This record gives sequence, structure tokens and C-alpha cells, in this order.
Amino acid sequence: MNIKEIIQNIRNRLQKKEELSDEAIQGFLRVLDKVRVEETSCKEVFAQLDEFVEKEIHGQDASRLMPLLREHLDLCSDCCEEYEALMSVLEETARKS
Amino acid sequence: MTTRTNETWLSDLRGNGATREAALTDLREVVEHGLPYALSRWLSPNDPLFAPLIEEVTQETLLRVLDQLDTFEGRSMFTTWVHKIAVRIALTELRRKRWQDSSLDEMLDNEETPAPAGLMADRSPTPEESAVRADMLERVRRILNEELTPKQREALVLLGIQDVPLEEAAKRMKTNRNALYKLLHDARLRLKRRLLNEGISAQEVLAAFEQK
Ligand SMILES: [Zn+2]
Repeated sequence: MNIKEIIQNIRNRLQKKEELSDEAIQGFLRVLDKVRVEETSCKEVFAQLDEFVEKEIHGQDASRLMPLLREHLDLCSDCCEEYEALMSVLEETARKS
Repeated sequence: MTTRTNETWLSDLRGNGATREAALTDLREVVEHGLPYALSRWLSPNDPLFAPLIEEVTQETLLRVLDQLDTFEGRSMFTTWVHKIAVRIALTELRRKRWQDSSLDEMLDNEETPAPAGLMADRSPTPEESAVRADMLERVRRILNEELTPKQREALVLLGIQDVPLEEAAKRMKTNRNALYKLLHDARLRLKRRLLNEGISAQEVLAAFEQK
């Protein structure tokens, strides 16, 4: 293999890595409708998550009262998982006691 | 277990001697009791990892609660706040265990394998339809190439992997979840504006992908 071929080889590999997969693009597009300029961060969501979850448990319309938090949960899978986990803890421990 | 208000939780935990010990014992019980429900979706109680994980997370939670006691603002019940901290620690640990760097690399390699032909479409599109779709997908790829910064692109590649947590992708990019979310949000906004300008709707593109 000569030097030109080696360089071309490396170039191909780099380009291949850079190509976005269909799945990556689709995942990105799927949430685009929900994206708005106003946003809240994962950190802020965490700071308010206990309050949000308690509102839901008490039957208050948490999504209306804390709309930015709700939107973030729709867009961020990590925060959403934590929200769901906290919900089940509160629901189940309330049921048992 | 003693029933406590938020105020008595705080004062007992800040107290000393037997009062503090009793409060800590009760708090440990609260955390240990709640955690299995937080983990139930990911880990069966019969899993050999289960008991040690509960133990480890409980310990870490108590330390963090004591450390951050002054940041509790009383916007929820104290125990809800504690459960929230336990959930964060537990899920972070689970994600770390599940998505160690090596497994992420494997996923990235597998990602390059093309899907077997013939599994996708149940009706073959006409040549015209195919051409229109191919054209649209090409345009979207070009837009992405133009609009995304290298960092945003890297994030998209990582997060294109099925179910990879933001937290793990962030670790790999040597940033944190908060910053990565912000990066993604900016990318989404940018792309949304651009598609709007070009008169392309995300739904249209998705439909084209489905029928590819
Ligand atoms: Zn988030």
C-alpha cells in the first residue's frame, strides 16, 4: 500500500465516522415540533422536581403550573426517567403507609 | 418510626447525640423503603446487583443529604426531596453500569451495519416517489452539515444510539448533562428555524425516512 492509499484510507474512515445515521437524524427530528425558544435546564428541573411531583400526586395540574418543566421532561429522556422513578416511589410508598 | 415535620427533620439532623442518630436511622429506612420502586423498571429484586446497589445508593444519599441540608427550601416534603436525591444517585449509577465506555463503542460500531434490505417497505414506491424522498433526505443531510457545529454533530451521533442516556453521552464528550442538553437545545432550535425557512416540515422528512 502506498502513501496515497493510506491517506485515502484514513480519510474514508474519518468520513464514515462523521456520517450521521438515519436513526440519529430521525431521533433529532422527532422532537423538533416540541422545541421552543424558552427552555429550562436539567439542573433547574432537578431543583424543582420534588415540588412538581408532589403537585401531581395531590391532583394539581402540575404541567399547567410548571409548563417549562413539563416541556423539558418531554424533550429530555434522562430527566423524564428520573421523574417517572420519583413518581413511582411516591405513589407506592403512599399506598403502603 | 417517629413522624416528623420538615422542621423537625432538619433540627433533628442538625442536632447531636441520640436525636441525630435516631433521625439518621429513620432516614435510612425511608430511603431503603423507597429505592426498590425507583429501580423496579431496570432491575429485578432477584438480581444479584439489587441488594448491594440499594446499600450503596442509600449510603451515598445520606451523605449527600447531610451535605446539602442547607439547600433544602421546603418546597416539598423533606422526604420527597430525599427520595429525589436517591433517585438521581441510583439512576446515575445504573446508567454508568450499563453504558460503560466499551459497550458504547460496540454500539457505535454496530450502528454502521446497514439494515437488511427488504424488511423496511411493504409497498415499493414508484420511481418518482423514491426520487422525491431521496431528494428531501439529501437536502436535510446537507442542511444538517451546514447548520451543526462539530460538537453538536458529535452529540447527535452519540445520541442516535438507541436509548443512550444523556448523562453517559455527556461523560464521553467530557462535558456534563446540563451543558449537553443546552447544546442539543441550540441545535434543535437552529434546525427548526432553518427547516421553517426552507419550507420543510419535520413530519414530512420523518415520513420520507419511514418509506425509504
Ligand atoms: Zn434534562
